[in-house]
Amino acid sequence: MEIPLAQEVIFGLVIGSYIALGAIGFTLVYGLVNMINFAHGEFITIGAFVGYFAVAEIGLPLPVAVLVALGGTAVVGWGIARITFEPMNDAGAVPLLLMSIGLGLVLRNGIRAIAGPDRRNIRTDVATYRFDDLGFFVTSQQLLIIGLTLVSVLVLHLFLSRTMLGIAMRATADNEDLALVSGIDTRRVRNAVWLAASGLAGVAGVMLGTAQAASPTVGFGQLLLIITAAILGGAGSPYGAVAGSYILGVAVTVSVPFLQRLEETLALNLELTALNSTMAFVILIVVLLVRPGGLVSAEVRTS
Amino acid sequence: MSDGASRFEEFPVDAVHVGLTLFVLAVLFLYSPLFVQPPGGTFTVLEVVVLFLLYAMILVGLNLQFGHAGLVNFGPVAFFAVGGYTAAMLTANEPFRAVGLGYPWPVGLLAAILVAAALGVLLGISTLRLRDDFLAIVTLAVAEIIHGLLETQSDITGGSLGLNNVPRPIAGTTTAGDGAVLVSTIIVFGALALLFYGVFRRLSASPYGRVLRAIRADEQVTETLGKRVFRYKLAVFVYGAAVAGLAGALLVFYNGAAAPGFFTINVTVIVWIGMLIGGAGSDRGVLGGLAIIMSFQLFTRFLNDQIPFVTQDQFASIRLVLIGLLLMVIVKYRPEGIWGDADELGVES
Repeated sequence: MEIPLAQEVIFGLVIGSYIALGAIGFTLVYGLVNMINFAHGEFITIGAFVGYFAVAEIGLPLPVAVLVALGGTAVVGWGIARITFEPMNDAGAVPLLLMSIGLGLVLRNGIRAIAGPDRRNIRTDVATYRFDDLGFFVTSQQLLIIGLTLVSVLVLHLFLSRTMLGIAMRATADNEDLALVSGIDTRRVRNAVWLAASGLAGVAGVMLGTAQAASPTVGFGQLLLIITAAILGGAGSPYGAVAGSYILGVAVTVSVPFLQRLEETLALNLELTALNSTMAFVILIVVLLVRPGGLVSAEVRTS
Repeated sequence: MSDGASRFEEFPVDAVHVGLTLFVLAVLFLYSPLFVQPPGGTFTVLEVVVLFLLYAMILVGLNLQFGHAGLVNFGPVAFFAVGGYTAAMLTANEPFRAVGLGYPWPVGLLAAILVAAALGVLLGISTLRLRDDFLAIVTLAVAEIIHGLLETQSDITGGSLGLNNVPRPIAGTTTAGDGAVLVSTIIVFGALALLFYGVFRRLSASPYGRVLRAIRADEQVTETLGKRVFRYKLAVFVYGAAVAGLAGALLVFYNGAAAPGFFTINVTVIVWIGMLIGGAGSDRGVLGGLAIIMSFQLFTRFLNDQIPFVTQDQFASIRLVLIGLLLMVIVKYRPEGIWGDADELGVES
């Protein structure tokens, strides 16, 4: 069956929203703590499990569960970062990266050891709105995730542009030493970054838990897309990350029919779900070759 | 550098000579009617030794990349896998459900090296001019994607079952059973591992290696001194890729099969942790580190049977948690590892 383009774009926007919520946090951490956090996917997983717990065990409605996951994951993520990354903040990019890989292993497998490998769907009531003459439908779930992402971006924008802490954050991202001598408490800034980054990851986790399921690898599965989106947008730039996420989300979904046609023409039997992430990777390599700074031309060359 | 460490580093044996001699002897041994039958209970240990030797080949390349030149290659398993599958797909005779071209094994071996090196060139050109950590992203991503493709594109790679009917050149030289094959394999792989260790050690001890360490310390200064930093980095990256590809081919020729399970991210993690425990940049130390972490794995494998109330799945998870914790502890408290040199690595412990 041919899926109309409008429907593909909606799916793309939904996927883009999940990626965006993860990518904003990833890129903020990259810009301010100066590290690539390979454990970022695990913060999403934590969010998914907090959300599952809130909905299935306590019986909270989904919007409240989203808030619980936002707060809960923010605090947990910040606490973990305080123990692991903060004490070695000056060690440089590579040790921090190795640390995050170790942390990712511990969290992912720790969650698996405790919760088991099962997938737990967060059950919610879903209403479907059909627009048959326009050829697409949206569900309340899809509207919620897109809406949540837009609200998060708006709040983030207001925070970065209208509050002292937000301005301090931008200054620190730009030049940490200069920010420090200007009297900015960069430690406080980093605390805020970890809270924001893990909180947003938590929201992404709950929504992924409703759309797919809460499982020990749900966040890790998103990591590659998140990293690609962040680099596509320009590593370190939250606005770029949002744009990169939506471009990536739409590009990946819209490319599926093309790949299907290619598959039929070449008479191959390819697994398209796997090709999705491969597509993301091809995009990543092309971006790195052509415009490594991404949409906003971030400074990423060695010298 | 302390006295003990320097004596450890400069033990007066030339690994290239020993490796070559051993390799010639190993081949003679293979084609002789002689064989060694190990005692029955040692098979598990010997299988880990085979893996150790293959991982050691990956590690000597990785140590040149990270320990000496500072390149954060977090996907050595990608080259290992590409080499393995190239060799398997070229040589397999009518595998169950995958591409199998049935060429003789030397073709597969050569192609494995070339394809892995080509992947290294492609990735190197796209990322080695960027910040150090971008290489980590790309290599890790490539490794994950290659693993995903191997598992899912079942018409080409055989999916999660992999490919069977791959030739086993070493097993073909004896009829004395699995034990004798294991011993022969260990002798041949040991000779090759020693040879690569020697070659890479000579490389790192030569003026070439000094340039690599200069790049690690400060790229701009090295560039100013007229060294073409990018070329050095690319060359080192491709050397490591080629050796990992060869190791992958050796693995499938040893097993007579290729499957995605041989090529998971755990290979990367084990090799990296081995390098960090031993001390990146210390040529012998990293191998010692690898031996430590692989003994730990072997030990815990036996331990699983002893602990009640823990399922196998939970146990596997707990083992990975411990490995992750170990990585975190090393990075934080002893970044230079056991035998590494903190000053040279530019880390504070």
